[in-house]
Amino acid sequence: MSDGIETTWRPRSAWAGIAPVGRHGRPGGEPGLTLTLREEFGLATLIAVKGRTDALRQVMDARFGWSLPDPGGANLTGERGLVWSGPDQWLALFEERREMAGLGQALEGLAAVTDQSDARAIVRVSGPDARAFLAKGLAIDLHPRAFQPGQVAVTALAHMGAQVWQRDAVPTYDLAVARSSTGSVWSWMSHAAAEFGYDVRNAAP
Amino acid sequence: MRIRCPHCGPRDNGEFSYLGDAAPIRPDGMEAPPAAMHDYVYLRDNPAGPHRELWYHGAGCRSWLVVDRDTRTHEITGVSSARDVALSRRTGEVA
Ligand SMILES: [Zn+2]
Repeated sequence: MSDGIETTWRPRSAWAGIAPVGRHGRPGGEPGLTLTLREEFGLATLIAVKGRTDALRQVMDARFGWSLPDPGGANLTGERGLVWSGPDQWLALFEERREMAGLGQALEGLAAVTDQSDARAIVRVSGPDARAFLAKGLAIDLHPRAFQPGQVAVTALAHMGAQVWQRDAVPTYDLAVARSSTGSVWSWMSHAAAEFGYDVRNAAP
Repeated sequence: MRIRCPHCGPRDNGEFSYLGDAAPIRPDGMEAPPAAMHDYVYLRDNPAGPHRELWYHGAGCRSWLVVDRDTRTHEITGVSSARDVALSRRTGEVA
């Protein structure tokens, strides 16, 4: 019945039609921050089976060389690793989606694994004004004495659910939000970032 | 008002929703007399002072918490995971 019918479905960035690439906001001078639209990453939620957290820890270490972060922690090497997201819950991050193959089987009986690659959108926020920018929307303390590279918070950005982890002291943060909320998130971000001047880029393929 | 979530650290109370008194324990529905069930479902004390209550960290780690709060001052003297409270209660019954 479907013979000869060509599908019109195409992969589409979570930020397509929402976040325009280029220089925006305050004109002149160096931009205060850069917003990099992440794409093609692999992302899965892990929820440990009750009483199997230690076994999960061993398998993640043996298979990936990754250690399960403590509450509030993110153990990342480059674009890969684990981010805490609740009691006995983590995000597993991969640079490319195909690296996730076999994850569910490897963790069978140890954790519930759910592919979230298409469910979350991630934007990287980096630059000298990145902290001041995020502080306008996050009701958590981002001062280095309270929040540093390797730390994560599950919280809300301008009342929208968000998970944010710090990558380095530039500072650079990754911000993950529900893909369905990117329009509203970008509306807030574009207004909040305007005073600093900002660059919007696509992540290098 | 801020609540110090045992998993997430101190957070604005806007991240939480309030359920109510943490003390009532559901009676066995098959065994309990109607009066006990009525008491469990409908009747609550309304103390001016220390209160143990349930809060849900919906905009954070999505955990239920047991919070000791003074209803007159909003001073919070203790926060624990509701799961831990329930588990220790169960252990207490077994012991
Ligand atoms: Zn929490």
